[in-house]
Amino acid sequence: MDALHGFKDVQSLSFQRPIIRRLILGSYWVVILFAIPFWWRLTSIERIALPSNRVHAQLEKQPVFPVNVQLDGSSFHGRASLLASELNELLAKSTRTSTRWNNLDIHVTLDQNAARSVYTVAVGNGTVVRHPRHLILSQDDASSATKIADVLTGLLAPEASSRVQRVVQYSKRYRLAFTLLNEDVTSDQLIHNWDIHHISPVLSRLSVLHDFLIESQVQFHAPLAFEPVQIVSENSTLYGLTPEDLTVFVNSAEWTLSSSVSEDPVLHFLLFVPSSSRRPLHILDTQGSPTQHAVFLLPQWGGIYILNHLEHVGTRTHLTAVDLSLVFSAFVNQLSALLGVSDLPHGVKSDDPSILSDWQVDAVLRYRALENIVETQQTLHSIVKLVDQIKNMPVDETVRGDVQNALTALEKAYQSTAGLPSTILHWSREALSSASHAFFNPGMLALLYFPAEHKYAVYTPLFASIAVPLVVALGRELHAWRREHRTTAGKLVYHIQS
Amino acid sequence: MRWGTIFFALCLSASSESVTSYTNNVPPGESGERYDEDLFIRPLLDGRVATTFTFTTDLLGNVSRQSESSGQHYTLFPLTLGQILREYSIAELHLTLNSGKWNYDHWGYPDDPSVGTGAELWAWMADGPSSTIDERWTGLRNALAGLFCASLGSLDTRHTSSPSTVFPISFSSSIPHGLRYANLPSENVCTENLTPFVKLLPCKSRAGLATLLNPQRIFDADWHGLSIHLRSTEVGTELKLGVQAVFDPVRLSGGRRRDWSFRLLFDRIIHDSCLVATSSVVRVQIPDSGSHTLSPASVVDDNLTAMYNLMTQAPLDVSMSWPHEHTFQYPHVHESRLTPLSIQRTLHGSSQIHGHLFIALTNNGHHDIVVGYFENLPALVTLWMHTMEIKVDGTERNELISNVSYRPHQVLANGQKSPSTFQAILTVPASSTLHLSMEISRAFLKYTEHPPDAMRGWDLPPAILFPVCEPAMGICGMQNTSAGMRDRMYTPTLLIDLPTPDFSMPYNVIIFSCTLITLIFGSIFNLLTRTWVIVRVED
Repeated sequence: MDALHGFKDVQSLSFQRPIIRRLILGSYWVVILFAIPFWWRLTSIERIALPSNRVHAQLEKQPVFPVNVQLDGSSFHGRASLLASELNELLAKSTRTSTRWNNLDIHVTLDQNAARSVYTVAVGNGTVVRHPRHLILSQDDASSATKIADVLTGLLAPEASSRVQRVVQYSKRYRLAFTLLNEDVTSDQLIHNWDIHHISPVLSRLSVLHDFLIESQVQFHAPLAFEPVQIVSENSTLYGLTPEDLTVFVNSAEWTLSSSVSEDPVLHFLLFVPSSSRRPLHILDTQGSPTQHAVFLLPQWGGIYILNHLEHVGTRTHLTAVDLSLVFSAFVNQLSALLGVSDLPHGVKSDDPSILSDWQVDAVLRYRALENIVETQQTLHSIVKLVDQIKNMPVDETVRGDVQNALTALEKAYQSTAGLPSTILHWSREALSSASHAFFNPGMLALLYFPAEHKYAVYTPLFASIAVPLVVALGRELHAWRREHRTTAGKLVYHIQS
Repeated sequence: MRWGTIFFALCLSASSESVTSYTNNVPPGESGERYDEDLFIRPLLDGRVATTFTFTTDLLGNVSRQSESSGQHYTLFPLTLGQILREYSIAELHLTLNSGKWNYDHWGYPDDPSVGTGAELWAWMADGPSSTIDERWTGLRNALAGLFCASLGSLDTRHTSSPSTVFPISFSSSIPHGLRYANLPSENVCTENLTPFVKLLPCKSRAGLATLLNPQRIFDADWHGLSIHLRSTEVGTELKLGVQAVFDPVRLSGGRRRDWSFRLLFDRIIHDSCLVATSSVVRVQIPDSGSHTLSPASVVDDNLTAMYNLMTQAPLDVSMSWPHEHTFQYPHVHESRLTPLSIQRTLHGSSQIHGHLFIALTNNGHHDIVVGYFENLPALVTLWMHTMEIKVDGTERNELISNVSYRPHQVLANGQKSPSTFQAILTVPASSTLHLSMEISRAFLKYTEHPPDAMRGWDLPPAILFPVCEPAMGICGMQNTSAGMRDRMYTPTLLIDLPTPDFSMPYNVIIFSCTLITLIFGSIFNLLTRTWVIVRVED
């Protein structure tokens, strides 16, 4: 038409047709829409689903330890069967009422051929526990089912409320660090050396629960971080530690007690020798009057013995085993307390007081197994909750594997409750270590500190400036198409009308 | 001065009888452990005073070889170090944290040879089945870093090598041992390192020689360093904790006098002796030129050393003064050099890619000296062996270098680059200077490999000159002290400037490339989707 100017009509060019233009625009958008899933896949964080249903189901479970107590029929003179049924009734009732009995299922029988881990009860001259798992009741204690039930309660499920605070968290391995602290190196009486070998009987009994590494050191200068109270009475001067002082007694800035090598928990036992100018150093009660105690326990940390009486040592600088017998029996008691070993109930004696009885060791085993199981349940629950809460926390295969291992080990622990207490402890320990391994997996922190805002800040200059022409072109094209559509529709109306 | 006279009077009576017996009444070996302390004070020619504290603990029986199950019981030996030794099966351990440049020419050989600037750690560890040497090395670094509050954890594979001829094991046993050596020249030593160090001593800083370790004065000294030397011996383990410092009393007195005393140098005197020490001795080297007075007076032995036994003479404040000298005159620089060798090591070249490393060794004596030369360079620089030149008085003397071994840096499995090591034996002719030069190229680091404050440059660790025994030449550096070297010598550190990027660059690059992509995209997109019309321009 415009041959005069030598131009073709632009409208007649193939690429100028609206359909081509729309195809081009459409293909841009198709590419973008197809790319979105890839983009999503490539930038998403790997989050493998955790077995959260199993974890929640675990929370409701509680292990139950079946305990068989066998009455020696002959020593009860025919009352045995009656006592057994009465005891069963009494114990079943207290199981329902008391919280600390929840996890025990006690059966009192007369059957001689019961399972291996059986506790036997007989009547004798005094209430004594014997090796292995044997209890002799005095005539008085054996007189009624209530009294027998009381003794059994004390032995099988010792009161746990007081020890929860001070018992250290369970670990397979502990370091026992014994430290002899001389308060002042310039003091007249300086202890150079000591013999420490008095705790092996206790340790060997507890070897089913823990391994122990023993270390000892002597510090010649270990000043206190505070001034003890000076108390002057008519004929003597003494120094006192108030209950507040005891909480800050350990001067961790000056005393080198920590280890930089191992991650095993350390239980510290300090023998503190006050300088000669600060002797005697007594612990004061809340009223401020001195007590005779020289020993105190720092919950979950260790024990401290203040050695005031050095008169018999004289000018020696070496403390012998005899000098230290009191000190180490105190340390042994503190160690038992820290590890959750309970004393025998009041009125019950042991025929060999130097070692722990099987009743005590079994009680600790059950206590520790239960503690580990509860801890595992809580840890697993925390993992699931944490992963739910933090949406950009990666969860990889190892975390799920650890969680599954922990769950499997928990199951095995439940199955082995009827067996040896050490088996259930083993599985509960496995469960706990897998659970904490999962919880502290470093991979879960990987992308936590690379927030999406940073990505947007970097890529907005690209995406925004590309998106603008795309969206505008789409809008314009839609607008044109709609107008076109309207005009064709109008024409149609016009045709019909005409 | 008044204090000095009081102590002089107090100590004079005691000193006469105590010079010969230095041991305390503590029976050594009761616990199989023994603790000795020693302070050596050496007035230097340039008016400075070199002080060396050595705290030695001997332990009978080898710590690292005992089995795991038997407990660890120590009285004098620090438990925290014992744990480290046991855990990582360490036969020999040397850690030094130094600050400053040791001036061999004027100060002579240091009493403790490890005077390289920064942190230096080397250890011989047993090769056991439970863990490899590299695992033990990692654990050891981290444990020591925690113990001494030093950044030894960063002595990773980028700095670690195993030069067993430079650092031979002092006591060989049947168990195979492996050496790991690393240095960190940019590490600074300060109070936070001294505090845990002092805690390893039985008497801490309450009594004995350690009373003098006043951090405000030690770290004010011209040169100062801490060292831990632990070695196995035939009978057990020997732990040597050392503090060296070079004080400048001339500076402390306002540029006038070189008189010194404990009070002046450390701002403290020793009040009490450490009762658990077997011996506690202060030794003072007497300068050749007389006219000085030493207080309290002491008998001087053949080696021109005055001795004080702290066990009997506490409280003690040793002082030395030059009463006839009004103002201290600095000696001339060229007077005499105290070591047979003088070392210079420099980097030349203004380019950011290439450069030259120059080492000049001057033999001050009249005999040839044979020394080993060792460089442990991080992968920041590459040495080019074919450009190596050895010149004496401008003429090339290639026969003076032998036993060259060069291990270029390698990319390790963890993606880090191991350091390159260069080792050679050099013969320095009598009364002349040997120049060794090599071309180097500087690394181009990745953006993320740059440390904070990258513009400062990178520290290159000191090179080490070590005595060698060469049977063929019949000279042994160790034996012939007059002709050879007595001990290791360290060159000063170098600061190297690498190509450093503008650190705002990545963001700029992102913005630029985004803009460019958008521009191209926009034009093409417009070309493809615009409607073209012919506009008729009316005439």
